[in-house]
Amino acid sequence: MNRDIRHAEARALQGHRAGFASRVVADLVDLGVAWLLGLSALVAAGVVGYLLTGPPLALPVLPNWLDATAGGAIAVGYLTFSWSATGRSVGKQVAGLRVVDRRGQRLSLRRSFARAVLYVLFPIGLLWILASRRNASLQDLVVGTAVVYDWAYQPAGEAHPPGDAPSPRPAGSS
Amino acid sequence: MLVPLPSELADLRARDGRVDMPRLLAAAALGLAVEAQRRSLDTAAAVAGRFGWPLRALARPAVAVARGSVAVARHHLDLDLWAARGLAEQRRGLEAAVRAVRALIAALVAAVLDEVDLDEVVARVDLDQVVAHVDLDRIVDRINPNQIAARIDLDGIVDRVDIDAIAQRIDLDAIVQRIDLDAVVARVDIDAILARVDLPGLTVQVIDEVDLGEIIRESSSTMASETVDALRVQGMRVDGLVSRIVDRILQREGQRQTGPLDEAPPP
Repeated sequence: MNRDIRHAEARALQGHRAGFASRVVADLVDLGVAWLLGLSALVAAGVVGYLLTGPPLALPVLPNWLDATAGGAIAVGYLTFSWSATGRSVGKQVAGLRVVDRRGQRLSLRRSFARAVLYVLFPIGLLWILASRRNASLQDLVVGTAVVYDWAYQPAGEAHPPGDAPSPRPAGSS
Repeated sequence: MLVPLPSELADLRARDGRVDMPRLLAAAALGLAVEAQRRSLDTAAAVAGRFGWPLRALARPAVAVARGSVAVARHHLDLDLWAARGLAEQRRGLEAAVRAVRALIAALVAAVLDEVDLDEVVARVDLDQVVAHVDLDRIVDRINPNQIAARIDLDGIVDRVDIDAIAQRIDLDAIVQRIDLDAVVARVDIDAILARVDLPGLTVQVIDEVDLGEIIRESSSTMASETVDALRVQGMRVDGLVSRIVDRILQREGQRQTGPLDEAPPP
């Protein structure tokens, strides 16, 4: 299921490695999503605690170490499953990006997990995109992945083959 | 021999009862003459029967003499005058006879009509029987409609008809008011009409013509996707801008190798 890309400029860049700004935007969105997921977990925990122990209804206050660990775990789980499933998390969907391996294929679960852990532990590695000639973050270099522009709505696991346009585009469409 | 009626003798008497003597004498002379003529003829016939041929032989010279004497008499006695008078008398008698006969016929017819009851006559006529005798088929066979039609000048008739005048005299409103549209509509079997329409087929045809899925996709996603697309394009432009700034700061030469992944080194 493909959608025509009206912007010629964007059409030409499909499949190219994405730059710093797009990826930061995508990651900020993903951070927000992860934060919402954590908040949802807390609310769920609070409701369960209310049901079990009675009033008052309040969000559980976690110790800092548990808070950070639980937050990181939620972020890692969210990113791992979204990247391995479709190559795009919510943030990358918004920015029109897709995470692929060096051959342009969908990431394996293990590679996705490693990449997610590295991003959660060392997000500053993203800055390497500015310096990299291939727009690669440190995590990309370590895990062997790339983030490309891909606006196409493709089923999970059907990353476009190397060199091909990410989606068939009818000639003359604008 | 004719027998005179009493009424005829009575006519000879005038109203005052006296006898019209001249008429009586004339009638008597006529009657005598007629009787004498009859008897003389009978006698002559009898004599001729018995002494035919010798008489005829003797008569020839007598006839010749008689002819001569007649011519003499005609000359001296002015017989022509008498004959003219006789002929006039004859004509008068003939006219009187014709008048009498006409009067008689009129009287007879009147009497007959008085006696005849026309209603009764008509009642005795069996019209069914009369009609049964008429062979209508034969009559119809003899009628040639084409001939009749050929004789009719339709153009002439149509030319004489003023359709505008007729149309002006027609009150359409009144006609329309008299039409019961409800009744007309009530007689229309819409179910039967619909039954003849292949609605499912038509629907499929229409859906085939209209790419409904495409329309729904377009309408539902166009607005959102245009916003997202604009954001993504802005991201791309900022990406390029940031890369160029960084490359300038780092004093790099050439473009970044951000092309498709086949340019990347194999793992």
